[in-house]
Amino acid sequence: MTGTRSGALAETLKLGAFFRRDLLVRLSYRGAIVSDWINLFAQALVFSFVSKLVHPIHINGGGRTSYIAFVTVGIAVAGFMAVGLARLVSAIQQEQSLGTLESLMVTPTTASVVLLGSVIYDLIYVPFRTVIFLIIVSIVFNVSFAANGYIPALLILAAFIPFVWGLGSIASAGVLTFRRGSGAIGFLAFALTFTSGAYFPLALFPSWVAPLASINPIGIAISGMRAQLIGGAGWHDALVTIAKLVPLSGITLLLGLYAFRLAMRRERRLGTLGLY
Amino acid sequence: MSVAGIDVGQDPMAARRHIGFFPSADRTFYNRLSGLENLAFFGRMYGIRRQEALARARKRLVDVGLSDAVDQRVGLYSHGMQKRLSMARALLMDPPVLVIDEATDGLDPEGARRVQDLTRSIAANGTAVIWTTQRLDEIRGFADAVTVLDQGRTTFQGTVEDLMLKSSARGYLLRLRTADATLDDDALRRAAAALGDRGKLARVGTDREHFRLDLAEHAVLGEVLADLSATGVVVLDCAQQRSELEESFLRLTTART
Repeated sequence: MTGTRSGALAETLKLGAFFRRDLLVRLSYRGAIVSDWINLFAQALVFSFVSKLVHPIHINGGGRTSYIAFVTVGIAVAGFMAVGLARLVSAIQQEQSLGTLESLMVTPTTASVVLLGSVIYDLIYVPFRTVIFLIIVSIVFNVSFAANGYIPALLILAAFIPFVWGLGSIASAGVLTFRRGSGAIGFLAFALTFTSGAYFPLALFPSWVAPLASINPIGIAISGMRAQLIGGAGWHDALVTIAKLVPLSGITLLLGLYAFRLAMRRERRLGTLGLY
Repeated sequence: MSVAGIDVGQDPMAARRHIGFFPSADRTFYNRLSGLENLAFFGRMYGIRRQEALARARKRLVDVGLSDAVDQRVGLYSHGMQKRLSMARALLMDPPVLVIDEATDGLDPEGARRVQDLTRSIAANGTAVIWTTQRLDEIRGFADAVTVLDQGRTTFQGTVEDLMLKSSARGYLLRLRTADATLDDDALRRAAAALGDRGKLARVGTDREHFRLDLAEHAVLGEVLADLSATGVVVLDCAQQRSELEESFLRLTTART
């Protein structure tokens, strides 16, 4: 038993092992990586044609913003949300169906590290994918984003990550307990994304949608990032957006971790952790 | 409850560091990763550095006879290879306590023997091995102590020999004939009379040669067979229907079910 490390630092270092594990697994599915990027660009291509039909006057920004610029930010954040959420839910589901969850839980590793470790790769890869997508689209479709908006937009995205993580943890807890239910979370995510103004200006929706979007973390993140990338709104606006996002993200994350811990405790008590 | 002197309730993480676990499930590894990468990952879950985890993983893969499959994806491993990989993982951190759950389930006799031999050598080196099984005959000459659990309650604790002594119902499958023909009803009546209260003899199947003999506790098999022979019955074959261990287990576990 020599050479073992314990404590918070040791637990944190285990995340590196999780990241390496998932990187190797993902690299073994090269076709899936390629098709993910093809899908993303196909979506952007479709919206670039739609953009030719939409007059900029319909977009917030006084006719100066093209629809492709508007929707690219929406696609990026919605994609971030969808991919992040799907992978968060499937991470624990996969561990359970592979039978590796039980093997992991008999090691001296805390449930929180298992949960975070199972998604650490995606928490790093998905924001990276979002940024690369924005850069490539801006080059390919000649969309000009404000150069001084990238860093504040990234910080807004960072403040949004705990919300996705929290929602994913709630979904994981549901899947752990009921073995099903990821579909319901997917529908909720779609409803939240669709009414956030990701694809269409909120002015096109019924009047009651806009107030909901103003407290919807996805809507807050998207409008905040648009203000930075398209309008170059600056640091003050970014901090206001982050101040709105942080409590919502924090509460969702705490709820998610609590739900996951409860679900894990229940499965251990019943001895059904390895069943799927 | 304590493991290696550590109270499991008070410090479960410390207790887990001292336990190697061999799960019963078939597939408990990441199929897209190699055997080496799988073991190194689980090693790191014990808080060791990657280099040390790799070194331990390589050593254990050699110990369990998987040195040729170190870099092969686990998804391509056979059932027996996965069982051996499970053993390598359980031994990775040299735990003082090893919990093995249904290790030989689904293995051919040769594969089962390899796992048992490996376990025997681990136990010989001082590791406490808890071997969970429903294949009772494999504990003969293998386990030092036996605990029988029935619905979460201990119904027996002792040695394998003590467990065998719990057996009382003794069933045998006999192949009987007379000198020149199969047993007719008269011959069977004579044989039953010779048995008396020492047991019961009944036909099995339709070939008129096979019989089930259930002996009472006080009966001696050799005497019973000799008395059957004295009635003109030829005993061609005699096989125990169930082992004493199986009989004992059933006796200890089916009483309440």
